[in-house]
Amino acid sequence: MNDTPARIWLTRVVLIGLIVLSLQMTIATEIRVFGVVIQIVLAFAVAAGAASGPGEGAKVGFVLGLMYDLATGLPMGSTAMSMAFGGYVAGWGRQYRLEPTWWMLAALASVGAAVGEVFVPIVRVLTGETGVFGARIALVLPVVALSSGLLSTLLIPIARWALAIRPTEIRVAGADT
Amino acid sequence: MATYSPGRRRVIIALALTSLFLLTLDLRGNQVLDGVRSGFGFVFRPINRAGEVVTTPVVRLWRSYREFDDLEEENRQLRAEIDGQRSAEIAAQNAIIENQDLLALAGLESLASYGSVTGRLVGQSPSNFDQQVEIDRGAIHGIRVGMAAINEAGLVGKVTSVAPQSSIIMLVTDPSYAVPVKILASNEASGSASSTATMTPSTTEVVTGSSQLVDSQASLSTDGESTSSATTTTVVEIIRETGVLRGQGSDRLPRVSFIASGIGFGQIEVGDTVFTAGGSTSLAPPNIPLGRVLNVITRAGTAGQELEIEPTADLSRLQFVRVVLYQPASEVGQ
Repeated sequence: MNDTPARIWLTRVVLIGLIVLSLQMTIATEIRVFGVVIQIVLAFAVAAGAASGPGEGAKVGFVLGLMYDLATGLPMGSTAMSMAFGGYVAGWGRQYRLEPTWWMLAALASVGAAVGEVFVPIVRVLTGETGVFGARIALVLPVVALSSGLLSTLLIPIARWALAIRPTEIRVAGADT
Repeated sequence: MATYSPGRRRVIIALALTSLFLLTLDLRGNQVLDGVRSGFGFVFRPINRAGEVVTTPVVRLWRSYREFDDLEEENRQLRAEIDGQRSAEIAAQNAIIENQDLLALAGLESLASYGSVTGRLVGQSPSNFDQQVEIDRGAIHGIRVGMAAINEAGLVGKVTSVAPQSSIIMLVTDPSYAVPVKILASNEASGSASSTATMTPSTTEVVTGSSQLVDSQASLSTDGESTSSATTTTVVEIIRETGVLRGQGSDRLPRVSFIASGIGFGQIEVGDTVFTAGGSTSLAPPNIPLGRVLNVITRAGTAGQELEIEPTADLSRLQFVRVVLYQPASEVGQ
């Protein structure tokens, strides 16, 4: 990704983001697990982080979060911030392992998704909303984390294409400073 | 990006600050951001429609798998209920017509006074922390932000965002939702069936007064006379229990708090009905049914009572929503 012009990865991420967002707003709102909406957009953001590193995960999460806010009418920046943190955390664990196995990446994606999802009510509280932190979050977090981990196995190859990275380039991406 | 790659910490800090900046701008109201949102909606709409078309078979398959048994059982129960309600419906229709005539005669507002636009649900909130739905009617159909959304059962929510051909409706269960309401007694002694307010102490005189009120209205609607009977209604002391209903999230029932002190304070019981209170500053017109009191919570000290309300509208199975084209005087004047 470091050698990839911004316009290329940004264009790809936006295009894939539109598709993922469409799936989020159609199929994901209908097919719920224990009443919890599976967060496909967040799953893609954390998959990008797990695939390439914290900086890239944060950037992809930010772009996808902005699109999410624009599509849903939420205050702009609220979801962008939570997804950026989710992508960052998913990529953060990436730097300690150069050649992680698929399940390690899925685990990183799960952790990142849990962090990203918990940031949603935190940001809402910052904006003055009340009542967003309820007992339900104890159900929402594991479902979103687990589903994102599973989805990441499908989304990581797509994220690698979108960010124009190959497995050998990950080391470079993980070492950027 | 191609030539310069900042450190990871600087990236996340920069993105967080950018998010906060955008958030502040958007919450304060910014025309540029509104324009960007509108433009994105224009671009995203056809993609979302395509997504709907592609995913509809999967969604239907899932629904039929998940809901078939429940629907069959529910269908049986509903058929039995419909049989039982046919006669009641005829009486209710008659009462509604009489009520509307009386309200018109007295120059009072009723829901029938306002136009409305019916929209089909085209989407739900993709978030786990919002209770919102999207309908396929928008600004070009006369819908404005703040208007109340109802269905056959009662209040559903309010419009929070309007695009030219679609609107987003915040449901009454959303933590950000609030509306002034009034609580009406449902028992016979209080005479809620004939009035939009509760009657004071359940003494014999008050109950008599209540029946006089009904009688006088009925006679007015038929012949327009009986002025002496109408005068007797002013003797009846009418009070209202009013408060503010707030959503509590999808897993909890909405609650009414800030219940105004009145003579009847403390008499609210489980089963009492809740309607919108209306008023010059309320975005919802008066007398829209909202639900029933399911639980009366008595809080210590001066906190007062809090009521858990079970909405009459089944928010999990909305198909169509009617937006009442009502704006309070305070909004119209702006």
